[in-house]
Amino acid sequence: MFYIHRTSCISAQQTFSAPMLHKLVESIGNKMFVLEPGYEQIPSNVLRRMGKAVRMGVGAAMLLLNDITPDGIIIGTANGGMEDCIKFLNQIINYEEGILTPGNFVQSTPNSIAAQVSMLSSNKGYNITHVHRGLAFENAIIDTGMLVNEFPANQYLLGGVDEISAYNYNIDRLAGWHKKEPMNSSQLFSINSTGCIAGEGAAMFLVNGNPDGALARLKGIKILHTESADNLGDELKKFLMYQLMPGEKIDLFLSGENGDNRYVKYSDACEAILDAAVTVARFKHMTGEFATVSAISLWLCCQVISSQDLPLHMVKQQSATKKYQKVLIYNNYKSLQHSFMLVEGGLLS
Amino acid sequence: MSRIVITGLGIISAIGSNVAENRLALIKSTCGVTQLDLFSSRYAGVLPCGEIKFSTSELKERLFANDPGITRTTLLALHAFEEASKDCGLTADQLSADDTALVAASTVGGMCLTDELYQDAHMVSGGSTFLSSYDCGSVALYLRDRFNMRGIINTINTACSSSANAIMYGARLIKNGFANRCIVGGTDSLAKFTLNGFNSMHILSRDLCTPFDLNRNGLNLGEGAAFLVLEKEEDAFDKRLYASLSGYGNANDAFHPSSLSEDGEGPYLAMKAALATARLEPGQVDFINAHGTGTENNDESESKAMLRLFPQPPPFASTKSNVGHTLGAAGAVQAVYSVLNLVQQEVYPSLHYTKPIPSTGLQPVLKYAKMPLQHVMSNSFAFGGNCTSLIFSKA
Repeated sequence: MFYIHRTSCISAQQTFSAPMLHKLVESIGNKMFVLEPGYEQIPSNVLRRMGKAVRMGVGAAMLLLNDITPDGIIIGTANGGMEDCIKFLNQIINYEEGILTPGNFVQSTPNSIAAQVSMLSSNKGYNITHVHRGLAFENAIIDTGMLVNEFPANQYLLGGVDEISAYNYNIDRLAGWHKKEPMNSSQLFSINSTGCIAGEGAAMFLVNGNPDGALARLKGIKILHTESADNLGDELKKFLMYQLMPGEKIDLFLSGENGDNRYVKYSDACEAILDAAVTVARFKHMTGEFATVSAISLWLCCQVISSQDLPLHMVKQQSATKKYQKVLIYNNYKSLQHSFMLVEGGLLS
Repeated sequence: MSRIVITGLGIISAIGSNVAENRLALIKSTCGVTQLDLFSSRYAGVLPCGEIKFSTSELKERLFANDPGITRTTLLALHAFEEASKDCGLTADQLSADDTALVAASTVGGMCLTDELYQDAHMVSGGSTFLSSYDCGSVALYLRDRFNMRGIINTINTACSSSANAIMYGARLIKNGFANRCIVGGTDSLAKFTLNGFNSMHILSRDLCTPFDLNRNGLNLGEGAAFLVLEKEEDAFDKRLYASLSGYGNANDAFHPSSLSEDGEGPYLAMKAALATARLEPGQVDFINAHGTGTENNDESESKAMLRLFPQPPPFASTKSNVGHTLGAAGAVQAVYSVLNLVQQEVYPSLHYTKPIPSTGLQPVLKYAKMPLQHVMSNSFAFGGNCTSLIFSKA
């Protein structure tokens, strides 16, 4: 599909500048907030008016755009500026539809992340926002893959962003998506209960069709909606059959297992299909759960591929070889939405 | 690569609950913008809107859709989706085939449920039945579930150009081999969120909107949904071909979060890109379904962009004066109207126009007319500078 040349990430871990993944930043309680950088790339008068989702997305994007004007901006976000959205809703209710200030309304539209990046970088190219809940970023990947196929000489900014707002946290909590008991994020995979911890973050990628100097290649992606673990396993078999040459094997399975005991069946079904000796790593104790967390998982994957270094706290099962060139990323969001991504490193070797 | 053709149409708007009713209303210059009867707001009787005169419970009955979490936005989508898929003759097996994709667009999603959302967001009660229905993705996820769809499912939100982008995206999915048929469109229902949002920005008119008129003073909000079935021409040999989707262009104005640049750079680039994908010269466009919201900013900016691109702008009109601005549905609503233009070889007039904008001097089509049409352009522009232009061509 495309080659990844530059990446940036704002997450609950030390990922923005000088990433330090070995030292796990833990969170107490059921929300994993990002470690926000200083956002030097965003003018302070503009920054002041930005909600968190816009700030994170624009901050991560601008880091990659110092000397480059991509031919398009493709963003996946399930909710965009949810906090601003409910702030405006609060105005509607509290002032009974009276005289309201429009700031929150303008900020709340999910396309404002891509829009602000285009404005700040004077980018008049293709600009779009995919919002398909837990597959918003994956659809952005498919879009970007098509663009690279359609315009092989072009390069694109691809990203995924979502924030924890007090409000979407409440709504998801009522729906049973968060753990009821307060806990330390490092215990995510050892506590046997329903729900996950809430997360947020932004990851951006500069991609094109040129392998020279690339960090990694996103070879293929599959998205599906199902609640059957058997169906999921069948689809993974088909995906691997299509993507891999006979005899070719996955080195690392980066699993979106999220500590919700109702849905371990999905990652189990995937693991059952892979080679018994494959290295299995998990990441949601680093990020928490959110609709576009797969963007962070792709960033982590690029990081592991380029450093050939897998932090111990991520490892569920370690193979003898410790080589990470062919990575299968699996993610599941709220039971129904699943994705597989195949990422390859070692392009120059 | 064979052409992308349109083989099914569905629409519900303030001027009709199917394609035939909409066409008849357009021919008769029907204005569906009225004072609010069903939607509860303090602006009822003050801000006219393109309201669909079916209550939410009537829609549920018509559609046999009594699922507890279903929203008005989704019901409107279901209404148009069913019409389009039946019109195309898609079987249940085809709907649930791996190579059938769905690309829906919405800006409001389940946020039409203002009070429920407020209560759930503040955990006032133990949770309503709508906890999974507030986001924009909920619309496509409902359709997926109802029709057991297994191909690519996506939701796009670029504000007022959302469904134009959904149509463009669907065509690209087919061209890139991700699907063989794609049901594309958009939906939005009236919501306190958008009504108050646009009102707080002082861009809603208390009168009927007057696109491209000197004295225009804002837009009228509308609600509606429209879906189209896209297929490869070679796969549709036994079907009625309404038109082809020959061009599309997406560009960003990169100017301001909520208004377009004065010279209409984004609109100009989007229209130009659409011409390039269709491999057409400006002079070959026979008619434009303009974005034409009736705001001071949009109509002047769009006019200037047309004057920049077209040596002599072709006839154009805005159906926002019939149905209001249906936001995330607008691009798909206009797409259905553009296809009707081509199939019937006729153009529908802009309403309520009296005097041209002095700086542009452009006058929209003011009378219903039969006209030979080969290529029709449809424009959708949005907050965030998201501009998309589509070109439909005679089948």
